[in-house]
Amino acid sequence: MEIGPITRAMMRNKMRFVLIVLQIAITLAIVTNAVNLIASEREKVQKESGFDDENLLWVWSKPYSPAFKDRPYQVSVTQQDIRTISAIPGVRAVANTNLRQWQGGGSSGEVEIAGGDGSRFRTQMYVATPQFTDTLGVKIISGRNLRDTDINEDPNATTSPVIISRALEQLIFKDQSAVGRAFKDGETIVGVFDKFYNPYGWPIHEYAMIYPGYVARRGAPFLVRVQPGQMKTVRAEIEKRMLVSNEGRNVETKPIMEIKDQYFTDSRLIINAMTGVIILIIIITGLGIVGVTSFSVTERKKQIGTRRALGATKSRILSYFLMENWLVTNSGLALGIVLAYGLNYLLVTHTSGVKLNWHYLAAGVVALWVQGMIATLIPAMRAAAVSPVIATRGV
Amino acid sequence: MLAYNTRIAIKSLRRHPLLTAIIIGGIALGICASTTFTTVRHMYARDPLPGKSEKLFYVRLDNWDPVKAYPDGGLVANPRKVPPSLTYRDSVELLRSNIPVRQTADYVATMAVFPEKSVSRPYTEVVRMVCGDFFAMFNVPFAYGRAWDRRADQKAEQVVVLSHATNQKLFGGGNSVGKRLQMNDRQFTVIGVLAPWRPFIRMYDPTSNFTGEPEAIFAPFSLTPGMELRTSGNSDNWKSLPTNPTYQDFLTSETDFVQFWVELRSASDAPRYQRYLDDYVRGEKKSGRFPRPLNNVLTSMNETLADLGLVTPQRTAMAAISVLFLLVCALNLTGLVLGKFLARAPEVSVRRALGATRVDIFLQHIVECELVGIVGGAIGVLMSVGVLRWIAKMQATTARMSPDVEMFAAAVFLSLIAGLVAGLYPAWRICNVQPAVQLKV
Repeated sequence: MEIGPITRAMMRNKMRFVLIVLQIAITLAIVTNAVNLIASEREKVQKESGFDDENLLWVWSKPYSPAFKDRPYQVSVTQQDIRTISAIPGVRAVANTNLRQWQGGGSSGEVEIAGGDGSRFRTQMYVATPQFTDTLGVKIISGRNLRDTDINEDPNATTSPVIISRALEQLIFKDQSAVGRAFKDGETIVGVFDKFYNPYGWPIHEYAMIYPGYVARRGAPFLVRVQPGQMKTVRAEIEKRMLVSNEGRNVETKPIMEIKDQYFTDSRLIINAMTGVIILIIIITGLGIVGVTSFSVTERKKQIGTRRALGATKSRILSYFLMENWLVTNSGLALGIVLAYGLNYLLVTHTSGVKLNWHYLAAGVVALWVQGMIATLIPAMRAAAVSPVIATRGV
Repeated sequence: MLAYNTRIAIKSLRRHPLLTAIIIGGIALGICASTTFTTVRHMYARDPLPGKSEKLFYVRLDNWDPVKAYPDGGLVANPRKVPPSLTYRDSVELLRSNIPVRQTADYVATMAVFPEKSVSRPYTEVVRMVCGDFFAMFNVPFAYGRAWDRRADQKAEQVVVLSHATNQKLFGGGNSVGKRLQMNDRQFTVIGVLAPWRPFIRMYDPTSNFTGEPEAIFAPFSLTPGMELRTSGNSDNWKSLPTNPTYQDFLTSETDFVQFWVELRSASDAPRYQRYLDDYVRGEKKSGRFPRPLNNVLTSMNETLADLGLVTPQRTAMAAISVLFLLVCALNLTGLVLGKFLARAPEVSVRRALGATRVDIFLQHIVECELVGIVGGAIGVLMSVGVLRWIAKMQATTARMSPDVEMFAAAVFLSLIAGLVAGLYPAWRICNVQPAVQLKV
């Protein structure tokens, strides 16, 4: 329709449009890369552990009494603690274990199949009492769970039954069952559980092997699963009762969700901050478009009046400005796509960031389109309202 | 002239309060975002001990598995594929060298602390086991007393240095030098009390929780075997210990858990110390240890921290995005200011006709933009101080996060630049307006 005259008119006032084009382009680059950053962090935060995290409480008995130097004493206090905690109303299950989720680490080691090809696999390794699976809320999917009788306090024992996670079974045994198989260091797999996810420094988040036993050498850590809504009362009760049963120590408790929140503070910071940046930049760019279009309307009032006097309808004036903005927005977005990929390329190569997902780019393009239209509409309507009489005034 | 220009700038800004608010608000947001996120990155990236760090070197020896190198990308990055800590036995041997001016082996151990009955119940505390040189090496400030000397290290004397907070808790503050404290089954004498000390980065332990608080109590590393202490921090081992290991088995094992720092006379001593390390490992290889190819890493403090990936990609990305954000704000300012100035063409033409030169007009308008930049920048910096506090609160860190002098200077500089860049083109346009065209009625 009027593309010819519009572009020619724009060429007479290049700089103003160049500014808006640049602004839109950088805005698109920022918005898409920020969304990309948010998405990759959200993925981390939302990854399910497979455990009943909301109802898990971590309890740590920190002994100072010299009596705790003695292993049989450590074990008997730990057994007593398990009984004490189990007896508290609202407790579903309790395990003595050195697994403490959401710290980005833990304990790990390598395993090798007995009589295998010598390849070794790194996995997370923890010691736990048999209630471990019930406490975390994971299921034994083949074989059997650990039993109390599996726990062997003989310091010279060289073999042990273990249970492993489904992901580890698949990694090592492919599609065969792991139950009954043995590792070179003396572990025999008696059961497989699913599922397990605990983010680790190395990429072994889903691999786990659990030994039966008590963890009590330097204090005894427990995981306690409570009935929904009972966290607060159970937490207070545990500290009280454990100190009554043995006062040669201090007791520390922390809901797993608090530990998890702490683990994800950086991610939440990125999500919140980048969301703020996106909202602000869209507002600022929007205001910029409103401002620049307003000035261009004010400046061209006389020409608009003349066009109206010569017979142009209000809608023609409106569409003129919308069209002008649409052209500017499109050039901005075209440049923006290049910039967005450029910025992402720099982030990926220099900081091992995450590659840009084109979905976000498409969404950003649509969002800025809409924003451009809305931002132009207000001044464009003012332009359409210019009276033709203006043409007759002045020179 | 400047005063006059400032006066008309203020007048002009007050004539359109809404527009002025939008312009200043935009710049303020841009400065706030860029200052905040570059500060966050800078707090991790900056030199934690300026003037000192280039003489401090971190020692890593490759005692890992002959089959596989120590994996990269553990809790911390590890581009050199070498375990982040040393074994106890190697640390003790390396401490014999007299090449370094100062040196320290350190790790954390959990001990039971028995305060006076009236003060509190006994409790367990994480104690950092260090050599006496530690305090001078890392510029640790003392309020009372001093660090223990090398003789105390050699004799494994039962002395402790308390943090400021621990001294408050155990002895109610004040000069507690000479007071007694029972830890585990031993009596210790307080030899020093620290002044409040909270570095943002815990630079002396690159293996764990970089932003954690320094430990509450410091005791001699040489007490380790006598007290049968074990690490309560990270430890790594590729070989399993014998079944039913004794404490001696643990001490002589390949378990890595000790952080080892040396202070050299100058960075030019590094090759010499590197040769010493290589010779030591070659010697150990004769007895069958260190099965991997020679890979001993001696890195300066800043290299070490960079190696371990303190500055995460996300932090850099946020800083980059926030600077671009400021650029958008400046472009925005340019667009709005351009429109505003051009609308003033008739007025300017009158000034020109009455004798003002182009330079006068140009300066007048640049001053107006700079004013906007400065006011916006000041508001932005204040806002970023608030945002940083909020971030520190969200991260539940006790460390203070605030722009330091460098970041503050950068913010002022950026706001001046933003005002200048944004104003340059509009001011140039307006000073080139033809008065004759505008004045024709």
